[in-house]
Amino acid sequence: MTRRSLGALLAAVLLGSALTTAGEAAARLRVVATIPDLAALTEAVGGDRVTVDVLARAGQNPHDLEIRPSLMVKLRRADALVVNGLDLDQWADAVIRGASNAGVVPGAPGHIDASRGVPVLDVPAGRVDRSMGDVHPRGNPHYTLDPGLAAVVTQNILEGLARVAPAERPVFERQRQAFLERLDGAMPGWQARLAPVRDARIVVYHNNFVYFLRRFGLTQVGTIEDRPGIPPSPAHLARLIGTLRDGRRPLLVVAEPWNDQRLAARLAEEAGGRLVVLNPKPGASRGGDAYLAAVEANVEALARAMRRDPS
Amino acid sequence: MRARIVVALAAALIGMPAAAESQEAETLRRELEQMRQRLETVTREYQQAIETLSERLRRLEAAPGPPAAPPPAAQRPPEAAPPGPSAMDLARPRQPFSLYERRGPGQLLFDLGVVGDFVGNLTQRSVERADAGTFAGRENRVFPREIELVLFGQIDPYARGEVRIEAAEEFEGGERELHVGLAEANLTLLTLPWGTQAKLGLMRNRFGLLNERHREALPQIDQPAVLTRFLGEEGLREAGLEATWLPPLPFYLEILGGVFDGDNEESFGRGSLRDPLLTGRVRTFWELGTTSAVQLGASVASGENEDGRRTTLVGADVKYKLTPEGWPHSLLTLAGEALYSGRRVEIEDEATGIPSSVRRDRHGWYAYAEIQPWRRWLFGARYDWTQFPVDAGREWAVEPYVAFMPSEFLRFRLAYKHTERTHGITGEEGRGSGRIIDELLLQATFFLGAHPAHPF
Repeated sequence: MTRRSLGALLAAVLLGSALTTAGEAAARLRVVATIPDLAALTEAVGGDRVTVDVLARAGQNPHDLEIRPSLMVKLRRADALVVNGLDLDQWADAVIRGASNAGVVPGAPGHIDASRGVPVLDVPAGRVDRSMGDVHPRGNPHYTLDPGLAAVVTQNILEGLARVAPAERPVFERQRQAFLERLDGAMPGWQARLAPVRDARIVVYHNNFVYFLRRFGLTQVGTIEDRPGIPPSPAHLARLIGTLRDGRRPLLVVAEPWNDQRLAARLAEEAGGRLVVLNPKPGASRGGDAYLAAVEANVEALARAMRRDPS
Repeated sequence: MRARIVVALAAALIGMPAAAESQEAETLRRELEQMRQRLETVTREYQQAIETLSERLRRLEAAPGPPAAPPPAAQRPPEAAPPGPSAMDLARPRQPFSLYERRGPGQLLFDLGVVGDFVGNLTQRSVERADAGTFAGRENRVFPREIELVLFGQIDPYARGEVRIEAAEEFEGGERELHVGLAEANLTLLTLPWGTQAKLGLMRNRFGLLNERHREALPQIDQPAVLTRFLGEEGLREAGLEATWLPPLPFYLEILGGVFDGDNEESFGRGSLRDPLLTGRVRTFWELGTTSAVQLGASVASGENEDGRRTTLVGADVKYKLTPEGWPHSLLTLAGEALYSGRRVEIEDEATGIPSSVRRDRHGWYAYAEIQPWRRWLFGARYDWTQFPVDAGREWAVEPYVAFMPSEFLRFRLAYKHTERTHGITGEEGRGSGRIIDELLLQATFFLGAHPAHPF
């Protein structure tokens, strides 16, 4: 192949790519969300007016994501980026820097912080340092697990999408309302099914579920991790098991797919409790229904564990 | 009868404390249960209040008719950012510290971190006398190789800045000296059009796989011999301008070009923009399914030395990682880099003593493999092979190592390194020998506060 034909081929690839980009942009907004639950909520608001891509997959721990150039490719042509905003996805800063996309840098119209207006829990009141583990100085960032906060989160997403595509605002508002109505319809059922779980003591592996537990009036009595992000020491586990053995109320031990399942199961067994694996992120399915399905799955898992049904 | 009364009295006296303790425990248990119930009641009341307020908010938002008043500022994201500042805006005087005045207590407008990197080595006495170890002149010592103050953050909506000030110990003539200097200070323009960015200032050049990394972030305790031989112990760190372009392609391709002073003394050293050091790099990245990924890169740097003779370095690198589904870290990493150097040098004819300019073509490479079966433990090995850039001869080394990481912010490493050279190195007055070297290398690294991430 001659140098001239190589040059022509490269030009054709670039031109084709640019034309494809222009065509797609006219049809749909390209939105990237850092974590799957934000992607699901963005699809709930954007519907068929957006294509949503996600940086952290459903099975990945969003605390420890490796920054790969492929993430920058996703962000390179995005019209908007939805971020957690409370440092859960701090790695997104490096992805933004590598993506060379002026439209999604902090401060740009396409940079959407989903946490604005969220009543943040676990905000450290005093001095914070790393002796406390991998603590989030701005508060617990796992607010998307609380379906009751979906109204605030989707409002932030709506405002962000409308900044990028103002003409679509009525459509986004209509779709958001429809999603919230479906969520409102499901909420009484979830409350009723989790009512018996209010008698249980819940131990979580990592302090992820504080918003979810509070929403449904459930009681967290401890964490397997000694401190956030620090694997538990044998002394901490022995102390925790000793504390939990004395209780007369049922005990549920909640872990996530990427936690040490064997350790969680052993703790549940020794303390006389039951292990429940909850998935904090919507999985394979997409859209607002995926968010509802994820909440539904977690509610069902807890209710089933309380009934002592086989999982 | 009297005896029975005495026995009953004694039994009552013995039983009384136990009964009292049991009664007290029961009372405490009841109080605890009451407190728990009270707490649950309060929690439920708060929950109901929040739900009522949320419902009212939702009804107000959903109500048809005239547009609702905007929600409170705390719950509403900012409106669309205004277009960029006009020329008049930029010319208008402003108070540089107005943001400082408005910030809350304890809030900084940038991130701040400290990196401490301590290394040490144990080797033969003859190697120490020849100053021929991995850390030349600091054999059989533990020393702070790099204590770094890192400040980085967003300068304004358009640019990001990073400053690194480093302190390091030098050990010369039995005296310990502390050197403090500027390691990096640069700004990156983030909002340029067409997928471009520009970085200006003093920086570690994006040349090859490892040059960009600071020494505490290298995959092994020491940097590969080929980089030390061709770029020096400090690596390629230059002042100038670097521009990158990410073409709008469905796969990752980064194209980079740079213009620098050319201060690097090992290969360049001209130190003038009239004859600048020019650099270039192309990097691509491919996901191989959901668990594997590979990165390929090619780099070039061309500049003149102090005498105006040109050196051109060309490099190629590859890195592969295997991360099983759901793992928070990679299980396997394989990487390698090769470097070719073509430089013009002046030599004198042995017979006539007449100097002439000749070309020296030299090359070298390294490869390493790492396996991390557990979050806290990592095992690896590196192989080095390189020619010397100007003189005749070559060296090779093999270095198995183990790393222990109690947390993300603390790391310990231990390595054994065996090096062989075709030509021995001797110290002052021909002392010592540096041909075959065995070393035990140690490293302790900590990160205080924030630390910029190193991609892939």
